[in-house]
Amino acid sequence: MVTVQRVRAGILPCLLLAASTLAAAQSPSDVEQGRRLYDGMCVTCHGFDGAGGEAPSLSRPMSHTDETLKSIIGNGIPNRGMPRVRRFTDNEVLQLVSYVRSLGRVASVSLPGNAERGGEVYRRQGCTSCHMVNGNGSSLGPELTGIGALRAPQHLKQALADPGAVLPRGTLPIPARAYFEYLPVLVVTEDGREVRGMRINEDTFTIQLRDAGNRFHTFRKSNLRRIEKETGKSLMPSYRDRLTAAETDDLVAYLSSLRGAK
Amino acid sequence: MIIQRLLRFLPGILLAMALNQVPGLAQVTYQRLLRADSEPANWLTYSGNYQSHRYSQLNQVNRQNVAQLKPAWVYQIRQAGVVETTPIVADGVMYITEPPSTVTALDVSTGRPLWTYSPSIPADVIAIGSPFGQVNRGVAILDDTVFVGTVHSHLVALDAKSGAVRWDTVVADNKLGYWLTLAPLALDGKIIAGVSGAEAGIRGFVDAYDAKTGERLWRTWTVPAPGEPGSETWAGDSWKTGGGSTWLTGSFDPELNLLYWATGNPAPDWNADERPGDNLYTCALLALDPRDGKMKWYFQFTPHDTHDWDANQIPVLFDAAINGRQRKLVTVANRNAFYYVLDRETGEFISGTPYAKQTWAEGLDAKGRPILRPGMDPSVEGTLVYPYVGGPANWHSPTYSPQTKLFYQAVREVGAFYLKGEADYKPGLAFVGGGQRALTGDDAYGAVRAMDATTGQMKWEFKLQSPPVAGLLSTAGGLVFGGTEEGNFFALDAESGRPLWDIQLGGGIRSGPISIAVDGKQYVVISAGFALFVFGLP
Repeated sequence: MVTVQRVRAGILPCLLLAASTLAAAQSPSDVEQGRRLYDGMCVTCHGFDGAGGEAPSLSRPMSHTDETLKSIIGNGIPNRGMPRVRRFTDNEVLQLVSYVRSLGRVASVSLPGNAERGGEVYRRQGCTSCHMVNGNGSSLGPELTGIGALRAPQHLKQALADPGAVLPRGTLPIPARAYFEYLPVLVVTEDGREVRGMRINEDTFTIQLRDAGNRFHTFRKSNLRRIEKETGKSLMPSYRDRLTAAETDDLVAYLSSLRGAK
Repeated sequence: MIIQRLLRFLPGILLAMALNQVPGLAQVTYQRLLRADSEPANWLTYSGNYQSHRYSQLNQVNRQNVAQLKPAWVYQIRQAGVVETTPIVADGVMYITEPPSTVTALDVSTGRPLWTYSPSIPADVIAIGSPFGQVNRGVAILDDTVFVGTVHSHLVALDAKSGAVRWDTVVADNKLGYWLTLAPLALDGKIIAGVSGAEAGIRGFVDAYDAKTGERLWRTWTVPAPGEPGSETWAGDSWKTGGGSTWLTGSFDPELNLLYWATGNPAPDWNADERPGDNLYTCALLALDPRDGKMKWYFQFTPHDTHDWDANQIPVLFDAAINGRQRKLVTVANRNAFYYVLDRETGEFISGTPYAKQTWAEGLDAKGRPILRPGMDPSVEGTLVYPYVGGPANWHSPTYSPQTKLFYQAVREVGAFYLKGEADYKPGLAFVGGGQRALTGDDAYGAVRAMDATTGQMKWEFKLQSPPVAGLLSTAGGLVFGGTEEGNFFALDAESGRPLWDIQLGGGIRSGPISIAVDGKQYVVISAGFALFVFGLP
């Protein structure tokens, strides 16, 4: 949960700003009322601040419109254990939706860098060789088309300097929620062969990796001599010493400007 | 020709009619339930026998050949949801429940449905407290009737041949948050049932119903009213919404004529400001006289619980020598991370040993009461405590093997920040007063642990990728079967924990395995995802 807390630290100051740009029904007091309703009804499964628990994290508000969220709350998701909640008034449901929609939403804020110049830095540094934006680039690392709406500028800055410290959790449907995503793993087979890659999935008996060349590997754990999970590391290099302070600001501004498919 | 054919079958038809008219030859009698161990081809009660061993005497599938297991048939459930059912198998028919409260009878040799019953459940049904929504854990069978509890808080008796309703009794008011998820327990002429709903602030009870009529025979409240024994452990009106659900099937000792039933957490879960005291009889094991429901003894595992550590785990009954003396024992791997050994005649505490990481107690005193560490209660900013709310053990079944004398438990190693919130009782709404932020994902793991059943000392463990929700089965073939959240169904060597076989079933396993035989051939049964799988040797 360390990652989630760090992310939240970046998001929380922006929450009120975010709320103020929403529709009239979603005033700060509605978000606060929604939080109270959420803490009474939803928190047991979805965790505090929507961080996830037995039920998924709710930190991807872009996936749903207000209407679909209202429908999910009112009708439940029968094949996933989400119950119908029909005891709220229409206004209370709206407040709940306001709160859930506020989770993980990062507002546009004025940043020191220049997004246009940042786009140049992005291309010059070869980010496209690992990341995809609007369908262009490679799929090794996280897809970044909507990253600016999901991650606060402070988080993005930290991710550039120390990518291993901010491995995401709960942003992908696979692996299971709350696992580190893009976790580097080194495996050594019984015949001494070493494969290093990002964990794609894992169960008690098998593990699936994608190596730096974007090739899939699958192993039965009983056939491996060693499995080393490199917690705190990332296959992405640190850009702390590769970029000037101004370039970093520009790149953060560019990434923050990516707020969904165009 | 038709007449000739009829005449040819007439003796058989007459015999069948005669059999149906003789009550003594009804399908699954109490006598058969008492001797469930003697007919291992069937699975007649939730935990396999009244002692709740979840152990199969069948040994055709064993260490040597288990790796050859192959699917025999698969049944896909009708309405997608989490399948927690333990099938009941009797005389060629498998009775399962499907979410939310549907009962289906299947031909055990082909998986073809014979009948299905779906109660009409109101759209505004209240089902608070289950992380997996509207679930059901199975039916009970007695004579020629099948019994199911429903999410809208009914107990329904169905004709075992057709699924026709024999009676339908309202157990409690669902508008107040009462609901049923457990498999009822069939005794001699009566059906025992308990309720879920502590997260909505119910007042819990154990009920007995006349198996023929559905009439309630007795009710034993798990939270005493003012003036009753134990009421001094509640403050003010807190007893009225005190929780103490009874949501898991109990065990039964026919010789002592005692029913063992566990109770859940006090309400509200994480904010105990309004309920100072031990909050009897929550988080406890009750020994009840099945004739009238009177409590012979109780043992409270977690007095004044503030972490939602329900005691709704399976109480396992067996006899063993302790310090040279043969004792009748009941043991529980409790949600608070201690494994308890109690005398089941008296409730006397014999021993308690941690079987998973725990940070809340220094240990247990001579009477089994926890010696609390300070500062472990939920707080506004969050208090890190092991185990997490779900506990290392929960409703998922353990198994006891009379062959190895080991108690096997699927254990969850998870910590959580416990958070205290406001608790305001409103009928039919969540009444919990907080929550948790669990350390899941790579910070958590699971294991199958084998413990000396009389001491709780760990013999071996087999690590699992994540905290399991699946129960275990042990067999006379020297095997332990279990499942994972990632969909692995597997068999371990019961002596060593060595993995011998596994298969990926494509959906989380949230039920307990059973073993049966059809035409002399052994099968192992488990649900995973939205389906029920039956495995046999080729």
